[in-house]
Amino acid sequence: MNTAPLLEATGLSKAYGPTAALSGADFALRAGEVVAVMGPSGSGKSTLLHCLAGIVRPDAGTLAYDGRDITALSDTARSALRRTDFGFVFQFGQLVPELSCVENVALPLRLNGEKRKAAEARALEWLARLEVDDTAAKRPGEISGGQGQRVAVARALVSSPRVIFADEPTGALDSLNGERVMRLLTDASRDTGAAVVLVTHEARVAAWSDREVVVRDGSVRSSEWAA
Amino acid sequence: MNPRVWARDLALGARFAVTGGRSGVLRTLLTAAGVGFGVALLLLASSLPNMLFQREVRESARAPDASHRMIEEPGPGTFLHYTQYSSYRGAALSGLLLKPEGPGAAVPPGTDGVPAAGEMLVSPALGRLLGSPEGALLKERLPYEVVGTIGEPGLIGPNELRYVAHAPFLTTDNYDGRGLRYGWSVPEEPMNAFLLLLVVIAYVVLLLPVLVFIGTAARFGGEQRDRRLAALRLVGADNATTRRVAAGESLAGALLGLVVGAGLFLASRQFAGTVEIWDVNAFPSDVVPHTLLALLVLAVVPVSSVVVTLLALRGVAIEPLGVVRTSTPRRRRLWWRLLILAAGAALLVPAVGGIQVEDTGIDTFTIGAGTVLVLIGLTGLLPWLVEAAVKRLRGGPVSWQLAVRRLQLSSGTAARAVSGIVVAAAGAIALQMLFQAMEHTFTAETGHDTSRAQLQTSLDARDGADARRTIDRLAAVEGVTGVIGTVDSHVYRHGPLRPGEEFRPIAPFSVGDCASLREYAVLPSCADGDVFVVVPPKGATDAPDAPRIRETARPGALVTLRDPAETKGTVPEWRIPATARVVTARPDPVGLHRYGVLATPRAIGAAPLENPRSEVLVRLDPSLPDAPEVVRNAALEIDPTATVRGLSDTEQSSKFLSVRTGILVGSTLTMLLVAASLLVATLEQLRDRKRLLSSLVAFGTRRTTLGCSVLWQTAVPIALGLALAVAGGLGLGSVLLAMTGQRVHDWWVFLPVVGVGAALIAAVTLLSLPLLWRLMRADGLRTE
Repeated sequence: MNTAPLLEATGLSKAYGPTAALSGADFALRAGEVVAVMGPSGSGKSTLLHCLAGIVRPDAGTLAYDGRDITALSDTARSALRRTDFGFVFQFGQLVPELSCVENVALPLRLNGEKRKAAEARALEWLARLEVDDTAAKRPGEISGGQGQRVAVARALVSSPRVIFADEPTGALDSLNGERVMRLLTDASRDTGAAVVLVTHEARVAAWSDREVVVRDGSVRSSEWAA
Repeated sequence: MNPRVWARDLALGARFAVTGGRSGVLRTLLTAAGVGFGVALLLLASSLPNMLFQREVRESARAPDASHRMIEEPGPGTFLHYTQYSSYRGAALSGLLLKPEGPGAAVPPGTDGVPAAGEMLVSPALGRLLGSPEGALLKERLPYEVVGTIGEPGLIGPNELRYVAHAPFLTTDNYDGRGLRYGWSVPEEPMNAFLLLLVVIAYVVLLLPVLVFIGTAARFGGEQRDRRLAALRLVGADNATTRRVAAGESLAGALLGLVVGAGLFLASRQFAGTVEIWDVNAFPSDVVPHTLLALLVLAVVPVSSVVVTLLALRGVAIEPLGVVRTSTPRRRRLWWRLLILAAGAALLVPAVGGIQVEDTGIDTFTIGAGTVLVLIGLTGLLPWLVEAAVKRLRGGPVSWQLAVRRLQLSSGTAARAVSGIVVAAAGAIALQMLFQAMEHTFTAETGHDTSRAQLQTSLDARDGADARRTIDRLAAVEGVTGVIGTVDSHVYRHGPLRPGEEFRPIAPFSVGDCASLREYAVLPSCADGDVFVVVPPKGATDAPDAPRIRETARPGALVTLRDPAETKGTVPEWRIPATARVVTARPDPVGLHRYGVLATPRAIGAAPLENPRSEVLVRLDPSLPDAPEVVRNAALEIDPTATVRGLSDTEQSSKFLSVRTGILVGSTLTMLLVAASLLVATLEQLRDRKRLLSSLVAFGTRRTTLGCSVLWQTAVPIALGLALAVAGGLGLGSVLLAMTGQRVHDWWVFLPVVGVGAALIAAVTLLSLPLLWRLMRADGLRTE
């Protein structure tokens, strides 16, 4: 395994008004590894994820992706990076309610300029892989939470990202569905070689990772490379 | 039904309306503003009948009384009067010239007394005008000293230009009449059918969108309200309670709207005097809503807001854990929508061809009801059309897909908001078509040819030479490029009355130069000394005295220049030369035919003519805008009772242009109202999708993609609405025109309305963008 970090953050700080969400957090992610970011509510886990994904610009610190400082990139360039290299899974799926499931999964590809038919063909493949191909023509409102979350995982993986950011991906699911989503997510990411940053407060979910880091009061307290 | 429970729930809803946090208060304010604006418009509209009625009352109150027998002899309380109508730079000007015949002559309304000879009282607006540099030209026309102001009772509107002058030159030869007092009952001058039709349609077109808007405003913030109601269910409220609470919330907004509307009405009433439409404005005290209509507004608005709220909640199940909407909304049915449209058409179509322009009464109720039904039918058709159209939309870029899918899932909100545009636009198009036809009819009816002359006046003269001098004086006025001037009188058949004749046959007689005579007849050639005879053709409808003219005006015939029966001494005679040519009449610039004898000056001197008049048509230099005013001044200087008439086709056109502009402005304002509700709906929808928008941004969606999606989401329903409005408006306009036997003059009248619609799409999108940008920040992803 290549030991050089794919994504490396040093001294990240971010405050929302008077509240410091991150204060000098360090973080490193190697290609293909699954890292669980744990910590209590309000500790700064999600903010760390948002900073790492280039969604939020940190107030201080450096963030390098594949050797490039992405804090210096413009908003447009960071958006382009998120479209091409990153994938996202959120707690409530955040599928577009008006679009069918296959259209939701095809969305990142279409945003990258791919033709509709080709994009939807690839999306169908991913839906099948995540065992939700029967939901293709349905709208998110017509499927269960577990199915929705698997569709969201398919959407995160469809553009073959190098990093997947998952923010409490099982937070709204029962344990059985949660397990299933995590298995599919980690299997698929390992098959495709994508690294995963997994924000969770559940040890059961973190167990699917190669390594765990703990965020407390805005800084990363422990970071152990997996054996 | 327990009134206490109802009151409790309504009160709780009302409390939510004002204490529901920033967004709750904003929603209430928006509802109140929308309803308030609508109420103010409705109250103003219901004041219109009284405004017009009060103008008539004022007009009749200040008119010299002519309701009883003619006063033959002067008395201590009598006065001679003459009413002058004129205009100054396009504004109407009227004056009452008086000459008291005794010390007890009645005092005109709005004045303290009859002004002394050579003095006048003026309206405040005329006073201001005369006191300003803009009124300098008018000052020359009114050779009276201003000694006071006419009060409100003597005026029909605060902006009226009016004077009351003491004119010692008034005699029984140049007066309108002899009066004893002021004020008489004027029989109501009936409006012609066309105008009535216009008024009915204008009322309907302006008021319907307001009602639609009130309906839309009552649904503002629906989704937030639904969440609040779900929370109530969680703590034990039953379904009926939540509906009553929702009704209370809407009722509070509507009642606040009534207060706002009443305030806006009272405030705008104060400005009634400053607004002038078609030379008409009103005193604030005359702007009083019709009691019944006002009560109807006060009752309908709160009730309709409650009904709309309850209807909106019909397809919603409020459960303790959230609001459940029917996942697949019921397919919209077409039949009942077409039924309304058909009912409207059924009322209107039988009237096709049944109204004559000169009619003074039309079936207002049937036509009004038919128009309302057609417009409501079109409004009802829109949700079906939007649903049917978006169902078929496929493909396209991501922004298009997002918008179309959103509309496929729920097109009701957008369609409802746009339905106001359909009513306003369809109505405006129909009105524009009616006005255009009216403009055409009225211009055609005047028959004036303003390319040949722009002013016309007729001035009495002492003799032929005096009449000739008048023509020359007017020709020399600055800004006059030419005159068509003749000295007019009559010639009488020579010889005694024949058996059965009560009076001697006569024929009009005009003396003028060749250039002027050519304006009245087709002359093969003309030289000074020539005489022409213009005989009415057989069947001419504009010459009832044709037989007498034919008998008198014959080449070689001997005629007298005065009536032998009324002339003492020698009666001047003249033989129409045998060489006089019989020519064909040509319509003069006023559109009339002049029959009789036309002579050039060398053929006969004008001196021996009886009661000669200078008949003058004036051509003006178009580069001098004040030329008409200078000519009016000159004519009044020659004869203080002269009337100078503007040939009207251009004047009419400009009036119609302003009315058409008015319609466009009115419909634009209405559409702005609708756009405001559409904007509110879009903003609410964006706010409700805050988290989703943030997640879309997280995986790299461009701002332009989401911006375009909002644009399509606005544009598709508005474009469909406008298409429906254009089709409906043109159809309605055609039927209304067919009723009066008119044809459509321009099918493209809808273009400005469509332009306004397109501008609204752009405006709603642009105004949504700042919020969209704000919501696209990653903050929306935060849950803690």
